[in-house]
Amino acid sequence: MALVLKTTKFVESQIDSFLDVVSDSALLFQLSVEDYLKGRFEQFEERLMQIRENEKKADELRVAVERYLYERTLIPENRGDVLAILENTDEVMDNIKDTLTQFSIELPQIPEILNDLWMQTTHASTAAVEHLTHAVRSFFRDLGQVNNYIHKVYFFEREADQMGEKLRRLLFAQELDLAQKIQLRWFAIHTEQISDYAQAVCDRLAIYTIKRQL
Amino acid sequence: MIYIYLISGLFIGWTLGANNIGTIFGAAVTTRMIKFRQAALIASIFYFLGAVFEGSGPSGTLGKLGSVDALGGAFTVALAAALIVLAVVRTGIPISISQSIVGALVAWNFFSGRLTDYHSLITIMSSWVVSFVASALFAALLFHLVRRWVNRSKRHLLEQDMITRWLLVVFGALGSYFLGANTIASAVGVFVPVTPFPDLSLGPVMISGVQMLYALGALSVVVGIYTFSHRVMGTVGKDIFHLSPVTALVALIAETIVLFMFSSQGLQNLLHWLGLPAIPLVTISSTHVIVGAVTGIGLAMGGKNIRYSVLGKVSLAWLAAPVMAFAFAFVALFITQNVFELQIHLPLVYTVDKEAVMEIERREIDSKGLSFVNLRSFKSEMDLYKELTLDQTYTREEAKQIISICEVHPLQVNMELLEKRGLDRRLSPAQVQALQKLEEQRFNRRWELAQALAQDESWQGIPQPKSPAQEAQNSRLEGELDLLYKVFYLPAEADAGK
Repeated sequence: MALVLKTTKFVESQIDSFLDVVSDSALLFQLSVEDYLKGRFEQFEERLMQIRENEKKADELRVAVERYLYERTLIPENRGDVLAILENTDEVMDNIKDTLTQFSIELPQIPEILNDLWMQTTHASTAAVEHLTHAVRSFFRDLGQVNNYIHKVYFFEREADQMGEKLRRLLFAQELDLAQKIQLRWFAIHTEQISDYAQAVCDRLAIYTIKRQL
Repeated sequence: MIYIYLISGLFIGWTLGANNIGTIFGAAVTTRMIKFRQAALIASIFYFLGAVFEGSGPSGTLGKLGSVDALGGAFTVALAAALIVLAVVRTGIPISISQSIVGALVAWNFFSGRLTDYHSLITIMSSWVVSFVASALFAALLFHLVRRWVNRSKRHLLEQDMITRWLLVVFGALGSYFLGANTIASAVGVFVPVTPFPDLSLGPVMISGVQMLYALGALSVVVGIYTFSHRVMGTVGKDIFHLSPVTALVALIAETIVLFMFSSQGLQNLLHWLGLPAIPLVTISSTHVIVGAVTGIGLAMGGKNIRYSVLGKVSLAWLAAPVMAFAFAFVALFITQNVFELQIHLPLVYTVDKEAVMEIERREIDSKGLSFVNLRSFKSEMDLYKELTLDQTYTREEAKQIISICEVHPLQVNMELLEKRGLDRRLSPAQVQALQKLEEQRFNRRWELAQALAQDESWQGIPQPKSPAQEAQNSRLEGELDLLYKVFYLPAEADAGK
């Protein structure tokens, strides 16, 4: 009994750590974009390094949780759903890392006039990921709260879409080379898309919540 | 020879293991909360313990319905009941051995010209419906309580899973224990009076021959569990309504409570003591109980996904199972008696002679109505009953008493026989001493032996029992006397052989 309890507590802590890492990475994403827009490139690179480490750590945690769930046949009825949630949440992190890596490789020149809308889009995407982690935590502990957080994720996803659209309109209204516009569009869309990934996880989470409800 | 006869009881045991254990652990195994090997091990151990230590309760009610008094009859009744279950379960109608055995016992009564105790029959049949409804109600109530607990406790999914898993094991073990207590009588109950096993002393623990018989029956159940129950488990939890681990636990708890209600002598005593109506200790169908529980949960969840056709089949089984078993057992008894020339029942005779009439009068039953039957002998209870109740001379109860008084049941006290079978250890030293005083004495009727024994205090019942303990004492005494009647029975041909 004590051994089983120990394993359960251990897996619980692994899942919590995984979500902490995702949440940290979302916040780091916001700070990184801010650093980049304000020209603090050294700090940006440091944060990118942290996000890469976080991504690696999240992968390890996810694999460990998967292994425990299958080896100890824990939550047999829900483990498929839980693993899907963890894998999809991990994809959100991958996306954050890929977007920032691309910033680091391409070093796009962003006109200052776009900074405000860019930050607003980034804020909305980050908030969506933040609320996604709350929703996932609630899925494990407090099923009644899941829909509240899902609702917030949907809200911030819409917000990111709207801000992203405004950003792209403003971008194409500028006197820039078409090549630069297309390059910046890619970054704008990817910043906005982070919230779309969070929403996709919530779509699944909503169904899994219905399945889990008594 | 008895070992060959016992095969049909063990066959029933195997059927019980194959079918009924699935109702306890089916949902837990289907939802992968417990592995089949673990479920089989827990079920085997606890079924075994329940059968050996608490298996005698429900056998009493079955005994009242039909007390099969010849091994050939017991063999055929058990075999017919098991075969009908195997045949009918394939058609998708969920029937249980506990239901088919009732039909087979009534068939034996009809075939042997014995009276059927309709009161017991109605008690047993109504308990099937009551157990189904009770299990649905318990499950619905428990479901609401568990849902509230799950929503309020805010436990982590993994902790909730662990608690559910442990409770499934605990209630699975309890359920198996009460299932053993409740159903073992269906398998080997008819062989109790002729048990070939002597009592066994294992240090401070004494295991009686009857317990060893139950243990053998339980072993056959274990074989059924390991060989066939895996398939049955797969269908429970899917057929009527998809169960999650938590709802599977709710269904299991409801089933365990109902099995406990219909198996526990302790609960019956408590209800007596509280002045509440007692729940009859009868063998109920665990299949129907789990179907009831799952239905209760389905209704509590809104009733949208319930497959009502399965419920139709269950209610069909309440009537179809005994009727089909009756027909099949009747034909089987006919074949056993006429083709294999085995004895189906004891050749009892009912004679209304002077001694019988005196005893009837002593029991304050009006003997004037006996003029039609006086000094006549009848070869079956039914014939005498028809004469007695013609023109409503006697009520059914009076007629049954007269029949039991008139039954010629030659007996000879034979302590050696009792000791050889280890049955003397079931009696107190004072009772054995009283019996020894009557050694080699012959009696023509059961009540004559009872009266002779009642000279000694150890064999005296309590005339008007006031407490459950006194009632239990009386019924224990009845059981002991019944055992003596069966062991000391000396048929006319055996007597002539001496």
